[in-house]
Amino acid sequence: MSTRQQGAPGVKPAAPPPRRSPRLPGGIASRYAILVVWAAMIAVYGTTETSTFMSWGTFHSIFGSGQQPLVFMTMALLCTVCVGEFVDLSVPGVFGFAATIVPVLVVNHGWGVWPASIVAIVGSVAVGAVNAYLVVVVGVNTIVVTLGMSTFLEGIALWMSNLNTISGLPSGFSDIATEPVGGMPISFWYGVILVLAFAYILAFTPLGRHMRFVGASREVSRLSGVRVNRIRFGSFVFAGLLSGVGAVIAVAGLGSYNPTTTDTYLLPVFASVFLGTAIIETGRFNPIGTWIGIYFLNTGIFGLELTGVAPWVSDVFYGGVLVIAVTVSTVLHRRST
Amino acid sequence: MTPTRARSRSSGALGDREVIGTVTDTQRLEVTHLSKTFGSARVLRNIDLQIAPGELHGLVGQNGCGKSTLVKILSGIYTPDSGGSITVDGQPLALPVRPLDARAAGVAVVHQSLGLVDDRTVWENVRLGRYHAAGRFSRRIDTRAEKLAVEEVLTRLGRSLNVTDKVGSLSSQDRAAVAIARAMQDYRSGRGLIIFDESTRALTKSARAQFFDLVRGVIDSGASVLLISHQLEEVVQVTDRVTVLRDGAVVETGIPTSETDEAGLTRLMLGRHLVTHERVDTHVRDETAARVRELTVRSVREFDLDLRKGEIVGLTGLVGSGAVAVAEALGGARQARLGTLTVGGTPLDLRQRRASTEDFISAGVAYVAEDRLEQGLAAQMSVADNLTLPRVRSRGGRMRIGGAWQAEETAAMIAKLDIRPPDPRKPVGMLSGGNAQKVLLAKWLAGQPDVLVLHEPTQAVDVGARQDIIAAIREAAAGGCGVVIASVDAADLAVLCDRVIVFRDGQVTAELTGHLNQDDIIHATFGAPVEQIKKEAAG
Repeated sequence: MSTRQQGAPGVKPAAPPPRRSPRLPGGIASRYAILVVWAAMIAVYGTTETSTFMSWGTFHSIFGSGQQPLVFMTMALLCTVCVGEFVDLSVPGVFGFAATIVPVLVVNHGWGVWPASIVAIVGSVAVGAVNAYLVVVVGVNTIVVTLGMSTFLEGIALWMSNLNTISGLPSGFSDIATEPVGGMPISFWYGVILVLAFAYILAFTPLGRHMRFVGASREVSRLSGVRVNRIRFGSFVFAGLLSGVGAVIAVAGLGSYNPTTTDTYLLPVFASVFLGTAIIETGRFNPIGTWIGIYFLNTGIFGLELTGVAPWVSDVFYGGVLVIAVTVSTVLHRRST
Repeated sequence: MTPTRARSRSSGALGDREVIGTVTDTQRLEVTHLSKTFGSARVLRNIDLQIAPGELHGLVGQNGCGKSTLVKILSGIYTPDSGGSITVDGQPLALPVRPLDARAAGVAVVHQSLGLVDDRTVWENVRLGRYHAAGRFSRRIDTRAEKLAVEEVLTRLGRSLNVTDKVGSLSSQDRAAVAIARAMQDYRSGRGLIIFDESTRALTKSARAQFFDLVRGVIDSGASVLLISHQLEEVVQVTDRVTVLRDGAVVETGIPTSETDEAGLTRLMLGRHLVTHERVDTHVRDETAARVRELTVRSVREFDLDLRKGEIVGLTGLVGSGAVAVAEALGGARQARLGTLTVGGTPLDLRQRRASTEDFISAGVAYVAEDRLEQGLAAQMSVADNLTLPRVRSRGGRMRIGGAWQAEETAAMIAKLDIRPPDPRKPVGMLSGGNAQKVLLAKWLAGQPDVLVLHEPTQAVDVGARQDIIAAIREAAAGGCGVVIASVDAADLAVLCDRVIVFRDGQVTAELTGHLNQDDIIHATFGAPVEQIKKEAAG
């Protein structure tokens, strides 16, 4: 009844398109690439700065209590990142807010440390709930909500503290952070426990599986019986809780808090979380990779400072690594899908 | 509305068509050996297509057959595989197509959504991307000249609009006119090709008649039109010739529409499947699996259905007939205006806006969505994770999902449906379409549902996968599950269903029972004066 499909007259049939070369397995080699870089970095610093770098003191500085706030904040960020909300910019803001409340209430208003800590943590959870309400229920853009919230909270913290570093927390309070356990301050172990618990939840519990799927596709999750919005809401609230608890432990260890330092946490938090996608589970946000990322970054900075480079190097290093890490993980991810 | 055939108006084009295929004739558009590969999937295979000057050419095919990929190559969004060529008026276009080259050659695409900015005026929309500066040193847009130019184009289209009106305030046919004006403003008489990619979808029936009047005007001025549409009736009525795509390849090209009809095109679109299945024994039991009452969704009003255990009911109809909306509502994917679904004594209110389909799943309803990667499966998650997702809470402990049942369930389903590669840890996105579809089906079958709602269960899968999927659906029915299938694939419906309910514009127009045959289903779906076709159950 009609003409069959034919090549046009006078046109010679084209050669079949060339086969593409098979893809390289991106996973195995790249999975431990950062660990190799880390080892190489330690080897370089170890040989160039042998006397200062290869010491117990260095180990303590890198793994000691200094990174505890970052561990809690990255895990807080991971809560929302895992369910597909990529930019909770309010994590450092909430942390700074809670870390300011404790000394203000204790030193300026004569509260006990425990009631003050509880107020700080409850406040952080409430902020998380407000974020959640605006993003999940009302549907406001996450960047707008969390950027505004972050700036708002930093302002409140500066007001509460009158732009001062408030010190003078009772010395016994610091035990909850600095008590040595197995040669390390206990706050280091809090971080380890938190990271392992988070990793366990994501890998082995129904909640974690649901979180992963919500992050991967909300509609698929919804049609599979996952309560998508409840999980997204809970993630913001839990992020607030982790920031608050982290702040209480940090401020206990420090004995004081300077609210103007809050901003300096933003980039390291994001850099570590994104760097984590290139470690252990490539192309995927994961707690253990993030944890390794924190100490990887800190090793780099500590070494650079030892070699006598000026303090600005930390900004250059964090910023550079963030861009490189995200690029690497994007490329790896594209290769895997 | 009964649009007369465009070809009766464009007799000049008819003359040109007489010489199609001879080397001396210059085609308006000539596509040869065009292929496109995504990863391991070849979505277009050696496409050859010729459109004559002044011709209205139709392009039809099922979802996923490659129509939109072809349009995206023609508009420069995708890069084709090497080896193909695209020629306009004898001049080859450099590949990948650069939008400015395409515009210079007179090729314009009107997309499904028309691509209009609602809160901007008519003239701003028409001139978008082409604004002229007022003077040599001025970067200001010459508003007056722009408006005049737009008015002139609209006049040429025979439609006077106030060019300073906001597009959002216009009727649907005026919006279409704006989109067409944008597409054809650069034309010089006697050349150009406009591609309408499902552009009529947004139009009401009466607006469509006016739309085709506009299109005919364009044809008469010497331009060619490629009309991509799901509305086969429309394609047969208005186009000169049709090309049918199936599974990324041209089935037949240049079929004169005077020599075919909707049913003929449908058969070409679906293809006679190589493996013919015989309808096997029915498994219908005299027990109710589910009861649907007063379902009102989209154009469908107060639809009732009694689904018996082991029964397979097909819902079919053209795009927009309501068959799909009913299935989506029954699966919990779409909010209905009214209606209840009762499964095993549990009533489910279909009106509720649902944050999740948890209550459907616990009542024993499973919904296999059409859109595998948007609604069905998460591409980056593994086969095992996807397959077990609906049950991680009910089968797993609160603190631990437990690996044993997951491994067991996944292995059983991989074996049952012959999922390849049989690797439960592989991300679903790396599987072929057929195997991903099997994973999607397995995800729901593993929960042993009482009611299984499927939407195009064999869409874009190969023959072998289709056979496995059909066998698995039958097995579920044999086990007492009530099955509802929304599909336009008459071959599937004929071999699977105990009865087929045909929808048109929200109304049930036919219910076919007994020994079903593919042609009866096609005729009931497309047949113009719809007659009630009822056959007695063949024992």
